[in-house]
Amino acid sequence: MKKLTLFIIAIIIILIIVNFSFFVVDETRQAIVLQFGKPIKAIQEAGLHYKIPFIQNVVFFEDRLLIYDAAPTEIITKDKKTLIVDNYARWRIIDPLLFLQTVRDINGAQTRLDDIIYSELRIDLGLFNMNEIISEKRSAIMERVTQKSNEKSNTYGIEIVDVRIKRVDLPAENEKYIYDRMKAERERIAKQYRAEGQEESAKIIAETEREKTIILAEAYKNAQILRGEGDAEAIKIYAESFNQDPEFYSFFRTLEAYKNTLNEKTTMVLSADSEFLKYLSKP
Amino acid sequence: MSEYDEEERKRVINLTKKIPKLTLTKKIFGILLILILILYLASGIFIVRPDEQGVVKRFGKFNRLTSPGLNYHLPYPIETVLTPAVTQVKRVEIGFRTLSSGPSTRYQEIPTEALMLTGDENIVSAEAIVQYKIKDPVKYLFKIILPEQSVKDAAEAVLRQVIGARGIDEALTIGKYEIQEETKNLLQRLLDSYDSGILIVAVQLQDVNPPQEVQDAFKDVASAKEDKSKYINQAEGYRNDIIPKARGEAAKMVKEAEGYKIERIRKAEGEVEKFNKILSEYKNGEYVTQLRIYLETMEEILPRMKKFILDLEDHGSLINLLPLTDLNLLTNTTQEVKK
Repeated sequence: MKKLTLFIIAIIIILIIVNFSFFVVDETRQAIVLQFGKPIKAIQEAGLHYKIPFIQNVVFFEDRLLIYDAAPTEIITKDKKTLIVDNYARWRIIDPLLFLQTVRDINGAQTRLDDIIYSELRIDLGLFNMNEIISEKRSAIMERVTQKSNEKSNTYGIEIVDVRIKRVDLPAENEKYIYDRMKAERERIAKQYRAEGQEESAKIIAETEREKTIILAEAYKNAQILRGEGDAEAIKIYAESFNQDPEFYSFFRTLEAYKNTLNEKTTMVLSADSEFLKYLSKP
Repeated sequence: MSEYDEEERKRVINLTKKIPKLTLTKKIFGILLILILILYLASGIFIVRPDEQGVVKRFGKFNRLTSPGLNYHLPYPIETVLTPAVTQVKRVEIGFRTLSSGPSTRYQEIPTEALMLTGDENIVSAEAIVQYKIKDPVKYLFKIILPEQSVKDAAEAVLRQVIGARGIDEALTIGKYEIQEETKNLLQRLLDSYDSGILIVAVQLQDVNPPQEVQDAFKDVASAKEDKSKYINQAEGYRNDIIPKARGEAAKMVKEAEGYKIERIRKAEGEVEKFNKILSEYKNGEYVTQLRIYLETMEEILPRMKKFILDLEDHGSLINLLPLTDLNLLTNTTQEVKK
């Protein structure tokens, strides 16, 4: 009975000693072994590790990529415009010993990151105009701020992997101005479209009129040519025929004309000795 | 002696009572111990579902990946297992939130997230969905905290960067596909630089609209575009009406002229034919024919006219005009002439 109790007690004691002398470092963490509060070694490799029980203890640090998310801040651009910049950063602890000695923990680190990133961002954004920050210089600025912040943060055992501008917004009062400008711009574009439509329309109508005039003029020309041809041909035919005996033609045609022109309304005064009435007076 | 015997007997009885008791408790204890050991070892059995992958850690250190099915790891605290859902496609929403999915999906817009500046200093409201899944479960689990937050932050930053590089018109119309692709590529690169083990499956732009405040102006541009084509169509319609009509009129003019030409020629031919015929007859007896024609003509035309006959030799004055018509002498006269 006593043996068994002893055995169990022994096992418990061994377990306790094992528990105090071995520790597990997870893949997501790194550790520092302290001896009476003094850092002895840093452990960045995950797995089972040994320490002297009761004399040494272990503090753990995050080994994953960490988030730093600052509140949006107002910055002034080179062209004296105010922008509200919301940025974030991703960072990790690369030197836990240095980290422990300088900033102690993640909260301490956040304060330092605030100082570093905010000042770098402010300096760099102040070098550019607003539209550069919004568009073409954006990634270059972020790269530079990342690089410079990283250089500074290395002294705290921190690597800043990325400083990124999440949002660039305008202050509310400027937004109103932008909306007004957008409206004006759209109105201009709308006007332009309508004017272009009218221009096109007028062009088409004018072109139509032009074509119409030309078509009719061409037709008139051709018609006149045809009529002329007809007249010429007729004249030729008449002349050829009538030239056989112009005198007879004159006589014949004149009489024809009398038939066609003299009618009920015509009053004729005939001389008694005219050719026609010559037998009336002198039979 | 008897007293001793008695004592002895009692001791023996006591002993015999005690011995089997002790062996029984020992047995039970042993069985229990074995059971506990079996249970302990069995605690290492785990199931990985088809959409998952098992990640086994030995003393916190990554040891191996397992595929779906029944698997085993050494019991705690030696080995532990994580089973992330690697085939599952997760999504983050930018600029809006799905309040309730299902048949009646409801969305809520989040203007502060959706509104972004374009390169030409305009503001658009863009909503997007980012779909992602786990590419590398080891990195996903061990290299990054709050993966969803990371995807969302990065996606917002990249989308704004991409839209910031474009003008508003491009962002609103033709650039949509480009924006999606560029955002996807940049986002993937960024997440790779975070060593996140995340694969961006798709970036889908939902709505890219002008902000509420200026939507009317944008709509008016659309209707102005409509107006433009309306004006042009109307003009084309006018043209389509006028030109064929003009062509018709032209054809009419030409045809009429052609008709006139032929008419003139035929008439001339006819008249000439008539004249020729008459002429040939005339040649046969020039004087009488001429006289006959003259008289026939007179016969034909004189009856319908008012006539005055004037004897110039006797009087030579118009005062002596006789209104012969009143006396209705004309017919008689002509008849006389005929005789």
